[in-house]
Formats: sequence, C-alpha cells, structure tokens
Amino acid sequence: MYVCLCKCVTDCQIREAACEGVCTMRELRVRLGVATQCGRCARHAQLVLKETLNAAPGKENDQAA
Amino acid sequence: MKGDAKVIEYLNKLLAGELTAIDQYFTHSRMYQNWGLNKLYERIEHERTDEVGHAEALIKRILFLDGTPNLAVRDPLKIGKDTPAMLKSDLTLELGVIAALKEAISYCETARDFQTREILERMLEDTEEDHAHWLEQQLWLIEKTGLQNYLQSQM
Repeated sequence: MYVCLCKCVTDCQIREAACEGVCTMRELRVRLGVATQCGRCARHAQLVLKETLNAAPGKENDQAA
Repeated sequence: MKGDAKVIEYLNKLLAGELTAIDQYFTHSRMYQNWGLNKLYERIEHERTDEVGHAEALIKRILFLDGTPNLAVRDPLKIGKDTPAMLKSDLTLELGVIAALKEAISYCETARDFQTREILERMLEDTEEDHAHWLEQQLWLIEKTGLQNYLQSQM
C-alpha cells in the first residue's frame, strides 16, 4: 500500500528501510522522501516504522529462547 | 426541517467516508484500466458511481435537516500498489463504512429519526451485500486459483 502518494513510497519500502537500520523519521525522510511534500503521510509513516521496529528480530529471538 | 445536531454530525462523518471511497475507487479503477484489467476497471468504476449515489443521498438528507454538508473532509486514502493490495485496502475501507453506518443507524433509532435510519439501512445493504461481499469473493478467488489465473480472468 502507498503510504506517501506524493513520493510514491509504500509500506513495504518503509519496512525494508527499517530492517536496514533506519530507526527515526528524520532518517526515513532523507532516505525515501516521505513527509517532505504535503506532509499528510507523516503519522502513518511513523506508525509503520514503529510497528516494524517493535517487531524487530531481536524480540523474536527472545521469544524463541 | 430542523434535525438532531448529532444525527447531522453522524451524516457528515459518513459523508467523509463516502467521499474517501469515491477518491480511492477513482484512483484504483484508473490503475486497473491502465494495466488493461478491464473487467476490474468496469466493476470498480461501478462501485465509484454507487458511492457517488450514497454521497448524494447523505448531502440531500443533511440539507433537508437544515445542516451544512462538509465536502472538505476525507479519511486517509489507502492506495494499493498491486491488485491484491488494492482489493484488500478497498475491503478495509468498506468494513470501516459498515461499522460507521451501524453506529449511525443505532443513534438514529435512539433519536427517533426513522427516515434517516431507513436511508442509512439501504446504504448498509449495498455496502455489505454488494461491495464488501464482492471484494471478499475476489480475495478468495485469488487464494484458490492463484494470482495469475485471477488476473487473466479480469482482462
């Protein structure tokens, strides 16, 4: 799904970026351009980023162990 | 005729949902058309005109109740990148509309605004039995027949 329509950024791209180490909105903005034009996607983008970081592999390992 | 202020508020909230659906179906139908998936284009265009009809009914009712229809508000758009994501986000939208309609209908009942309730009930029927059901069928077909077969059937 497109999170940012101005820059055509999808939720998958945000998740991918989070998995590659992006952990703040500022970094995400620089990397993908989200929330740089009309700004309406900022809250949604932040939610996707937060969700992905909360479900990071570290936590899964804890559960497995 | 002066209407219950809360009923008008509910109607405006529903109007925002219908206007969002119109925008989303407008975008999705033209994406299908661009990809040559003409059957999907025709179906989603039909959904869009249905939603225009719903929006019209809401606007007329708000005006009749001496309210002001607010056409400036939208819920966030959920535009999919591929066919399954588009169908899924349309289904999410319809399920949201169903929940909002049910809430509004039960308020109309307590406010004894039976005519508004009847208008909303007709919309609920369209939304549940036509739109949401059709979307669920498509997702089921994709799961059972595979995405490529499904897409081939929609050209």
